[in-house]
Amino acid sequence: MIRVLALFALLFTPIPAAAQSASERVAAYRERVERLEDQVEIENLTATFGYYFDKGMWREAAALFARQGRFEYGQQGIYITPARIERAMLLFGPEGLAPGHLNNHMMLQPVVIVAPDGRTATGRWQGMVMLGQPGQNGVWGVGIYENTYVREGGLWKIASLHFYPAGFTDYDKGWMQSQIPMAGPSALFPPDLPPSEVYRALPGVYVPPFSYPHPVTGKSMADIPQPPDDVVGRE
Amino acid sequence: MYLPRITQIPLVLSLSKDCFVLRVQRRKIRTIVGLAAVLRNRQAQDERRRARTLQGLGWLLGLILALPIPAAAQSLDDDLAALDARITRLEDLNQIERVQRTYGYFVDKGQWTLLSELFTEDATLEIGGKGVFIGRHRVLEYMQTAFGADGPDFGVLVNHMQFQTIPDVAPDGRTGWLRGRAFVMAISGWGLPLYENEFEKGADGVWRISRLSGPFTMYTNWQGWGVNALNNTWPDKFEPAPDLPPTTVYLTYPAYWIAPFHYPNPVTGEVFTPGTQPAGAYHRPPGTAEQAEAAAQGQLVDGSQPIAGPGGD
Repeated sequence: MIRVLALFALLFTPIPAAAQSASERVAAYRERVERLEDQVEIENLTATFGYYFDKGMWREAAALFARQGRFEYGQQGIYITPARIERAMLLFGPEGLAPGHLNNHMMLQPVVIVAPDGRTATGRWQGMVMLGQPGQNGVWGVGIYENTYVREGGLWKIASLHFYPAGFTDYDKGWMQSQIPMAGPSALFPPDLPPSEVYRALPGVYVPPFSYPHPVTGKSMADIPQPPDDVVGRE
Repeated sequence: MYLPRITQIPLVLSLSKDCFVLRVQRRKIRTIVGLAAVLRNRQAQDERRRARTLQGLGWLLGLILALPIPAAAQSLDDDLAALDARITRLEDLNQIERVQRTYGYFVDKGQWTLLSELFTEDATLEIGGKGVFIGRHRVLEYMQTAFGADGPDFGVLVNHMQFQTIPDVAPDGRTGWLRGRAFVMAISGWGLPLYENEFEKGADGVWRISRLSGPFTMYTNWQGWGVNALNNTWPDKFEPAPDLPPTTVYLTYPAYWIAPFHYPNPVTGEVFTPGTQPAGAYHRPPGTAEQAEAAAQGQLVDGSQPIAGPGGD
């Protein structure tokens, strides 16, 4: 308690010259703790998006986006602002998961990096997808999320959520025998912008650019060479 | 020379008046001591490092138990140093997880050069039953020879999704460990590698993988483990040849082998010790000649192996 009081005293009273270095240390430590707290909040925010999305809770899911938030799923194009994102999610099913449906988008393996100023952040996640609907066989999917986050009104929100599916396959057949293509932009409710990157799911392969630098060398991984694809026209 | 560093970090925490902190601290020390015990049979370099750690820890433990906890408030400097150490520990745990998860992302997309850069110069790598590869350049050679040039192959999926990470950091903040698992969803089927990896914080403050140990639990084709199960790999199953034979010979599902934990039971503090009874795989009914032979196949380096049949056997 005494120590806590001492810290508070340090934080809120004019700093005498002699204590300068201690108060600077406290300020620096507070910053580091805040970045750790930011990371926890962002991981929870993203995981919560996953829980909402699984169950067709579009209103809840869309509310997690920033005012100019962007939602991009595969090759369906970019929807901007929570209101349009909420409507775009109806393309995945009605509000509230329809009977007999499974829409699980499990999110794991997060690498969240908060900017030093604590205003923005990035996150790469692994996505595992299990889909089901009445009368059809189950579908497995996998892909990568590359998201950005922004602090808005004191809260962390999703500035952009981009899911890059690597592929979808029939539950029984598996990747060798079944490679289900991605959906394109909707004609019913066209996106605000076309897909930010053009690629296809398996059998095509694509490396979603990394938002964070290499954890050892510190070099950018935003421009990893992409494998050739004759359909996309990438050499 | 070593002691000042160690006293600076955990001792300050331990001298807190708060009994809970003290209890946690004691458990952490038990943790580290147990951890060292588990890894006793590792390489000589590790041995020396751990001996130093143990020596420091023993000294520290003695101090904590012997010293009355001072009633007087500590100096602000000590408090700040303790705070710094605790924040640094959280950041280190964080970074170790990031390195492990990034390793997974690189495997998924065949980024072998970037992957090898996650390792220390003298790192070791051992995956499945393939044996040990020594040095960063051998890590790269292993990956590029066994799995092809950098970049994903058209039509191929080899996702190694990283789950359930348990990172730890030694009190000196220079060595770390992580137990975790990969859930492999690949064009060839399903797989379950486990990880008990070691990490090192370099003089540059950067965490790298110093030892990757990836024993397999189960590999099967798309039909699934109820129908089909692959054997563990072995040193000459595919190129390149390893630098050293496997540290442990063990069998995969439907048999099992428990990779030693780098940490003890978090509640009891007890170190899990594998049994020493002769064991092996149950791939034929008990009493058959094939089963008798298999019972002697999977062994720890000390000649034992705790292995049993799958549930219901």
